Amino acid sequence: MKKKVLTTIMAAVIAATALAGCGSGAQTGGGDDGAASANVPTEPFGDTVKYDPSVAINDGKDITVELWEWGSDELFQQVIDGYQAIHPNVTIKLVNNPWEDYWTKLPLALDGENGPAIFNVHNSYHENLINYLAPLDIPLEDLEADFTGVEAHVIDGKVYYIDYGMMTGSVYYNKDMWEAAGLTENDIPKTWDEMREVAKKLTIKDGDRLVQAGLNFNDDFHQNYLLGLNYQLGDNLFQEDGRTPNVNTDNMKKIMQMLVDMYEVDGVGSKDFGEKGADSFGQGQSAMVIQWGHYYNTLNTTWTDINFGVFEIPTFDGEPYAYNRYNGESTFGINKNAPAEQQAVAQDFVKYFLANDEAQIAFNMAMSTFPAKKSLADNEQVMQNPSLSILADHIDHYIWPGPMPSTMETSLKKAGQDVFFNGVDIDTALNEAQESIIRDMKSSTFESVESLYKYAK
Amino acid sequence: MFKKSHPLQSKSEIILRDIVVVAMVLFFSVFLIIPIGIAFAGSFHEWNPLSGTYRFLGLENYKEVIVNPLFWKSLWNTIIFSVVVIIFRVGLGLAIAYAIYSALIKYKSFFRSVFYMPVVTPMVAVAFVWKFMYNPQIGTINQMFGLDVNWLMNPKTALAAVIVMTIWKDFGYAVVMYMAGLYSLPADALEAAKVDGANAWQNFRYITLPLLKSMTLFVVITSIISYIQAYVQILIMTEGGPGTATYLSSYIIYDEAFVKYNFGYASALSFVLFIITAIFTWLSFRVSGNEE
Repeated sequence: MKKKVLTTIMAAVIAATALAGCGSGAQTGGGDDGAASANVPTEPFGDTVKYDPSVAINDGKDITVELWEWGSDELFQQVIDGYQAIHPNVTIKLVNNPWEDYWTKLPLALDGENGPAIFNVHNSYHENLINYLAPLDIPLEDLEADFTGVEAHVIDGKVYYIDYGMMTGSVYYNKDMWEAAGLTENDIPKTWDEMREVAKKLTIKDGDRLVQAGLNFNDDFHQNYLLGLNYQLGDNLFQEDGRTPNVNTDNMKKIMQMLVDMYEVDGVGSKDFGEKGADSFGQGQSAMVIQWGHYYNTLNTTWTDINFGVFEIPTFDGEPYAYNRYNGESTFGINKNAPAEQQAVAQDFVKYFLANDEAQIAFNMAMSTFPAKKSLADNEQVMQNPSLSILADHIDHYIWPGPMPSTMETSLKKAGQDVFFNGVDIDTALNEAQESIIRDMKSSTFESVESLYKYAK
Repeated sequence: MFKKSHPLQSKSEIILRDIVVVAMVLFFSVFLIIPIGIAFAGSFHEWNPLSGTYRFLGLENYKEVIVNPLFWKSLWNTIIFSVVVIIFRVGLGLAIAYAIYSALIKYKSFFRSVFYMPVVTPMVAVAFVWKFMYNPQIGTINQMFGLDVNWLMNPKTALAAVIVMTIWKDFGYAVVMYMAGLYSLPADALEAAKVDGANAWQNFRYITLPLLKSMTLFVVITSIISYIQAYVQILIMTEGGPGTATYLSSYIIYDEAFVKYNFGYASALSFVLFIITAIFTWLSFRVSGNEE
């Protein structure tokens, strides 16, 4: 009996806690119905895309759908809990697959009759998913009114998913090393010339042996330099036809030469010092790295001893065509092969997610992405994350090229390794990368969306 | 002349036979013959099963394989990799097996187990440990020998580093196989050689080695088949780099199929590799003069 009472009390506490944690920024129901119901919204909320919690789902009849994702269970569960609190007749079952398995299992599951109604999307797998996606049942103009970058996702007048956040590369620096080198906040570089000088000051050598790298770009130069700095010099990654790569250009050669000079002329790092720049920084061996937003959370969870700061990527002349490339973190996909009643739940869930500011902030904070939702661009909580606040002033000066095929990264990685390790000259390496990308993209349907950039030439 | 085969004794034996035969046929059909057939058909198509793309290309994929310089480079790497690893696997395996077989060695089971342990350890785990050992800053190998070499990113050492790891992991297989061969040698042949005054070297060279020929052929053939398919160590340790310096044939197939989702081209590569494997296997039989 005692055990039963205790179980009942615990169940009540858990329910109250769960519901308290899932409240949205929307209006909430008042009254004296208790703590749980006080946090369940009863009035429509959202900016232009509005969510009306009073509309019954599946006519109030019980229904279960699956949501597939590859990580961050708690994050997804919070949104699910919030939704289920509004619609107790809906059960959303969270299914976690490891990233490595996800992209094989998901398309095969979507091709059958029992695939998940809702699933997490990464735009790098766009071509494998697009045939299984149902378009969002939300007016395009409403999405465009609330979110940045929607137009890049429009296919024949329809949108299948959009970005909830934008991720890009910034410079992470070790504050202790910075201070030990006699540098202050005023020394934060704005240009690449200044960056190279700062990197020299942060480099420590014992004779010829490198002890501390001022800057380390090992294993990520292709993602964080070659596929981004081209924009600073006015080049897109793809030519006007949107399909021919633009990687054997004078500007790309200039960027590659700068990287070579940083190591071989300035001596601020070495191709043999630290297998991966990101790990080397985390292990306290390198003073600066350029990494994408997810690195902020990696440092806070994996490399907790590192006292780090972050600043915006330098430019060549202070007035770049664009600062860098960004990639979007995508909203959920809806399975077009799922039963109609499950698709209806999925459509409603996506609308709930888009209208819910707290969910948007939670996802962006968890992924360290700049909110695509326009009303959250200056949100106080978002601005407390330094990896996001440094982007605020120029966020419209970042370009998304579209869901590029992986060959863009792998071919440029090979080109860089050929230059650094195999003694191949820059011209030859970039020409080979260009040919390799063209060959690999022969069967791809990819078309660049760089022309949609706000300041496109 | 020939004994009449023993007839099945009972109905239950006949039923059991039929069940086993049907099960085996089904198993090999579902998991071998049908997939091979699908892959063969796919090799003539632009094929991505994940996006549903399946477009007939004729011989285009095969033509692409032939003109792709990376394929020939990877094939050359595969030949170097296989030949070196097999030579060391056979040489070390035979030497150590013969040493353990010697009457001078005690604790034979212990040594046999020790040398076999790397064989039963997963390749992924071994490759990760060796990758760590090869690390230029904190790796055991540089620290032990006072070197400053980036083993896995130097084009002159990368493939050799992977080869050394593979030899270490795999030679225990040859040890166990050769020990089985040594224990099955006819005692009278060895005894006769001893009576005729053969010394230890002559005994090994003219009696033991020829009698182990079938076992050597078995180890070589299974090694050829195994190493032409090797890609896990490359995936973990070098990802084919630096550049494409350590690309092996099977790694290209993995890269095309599971990174680029170009299953048609990967299937064409697989069938070309299948033909090459068959040729090498046939050559091994020819060289050994054991075509049966």
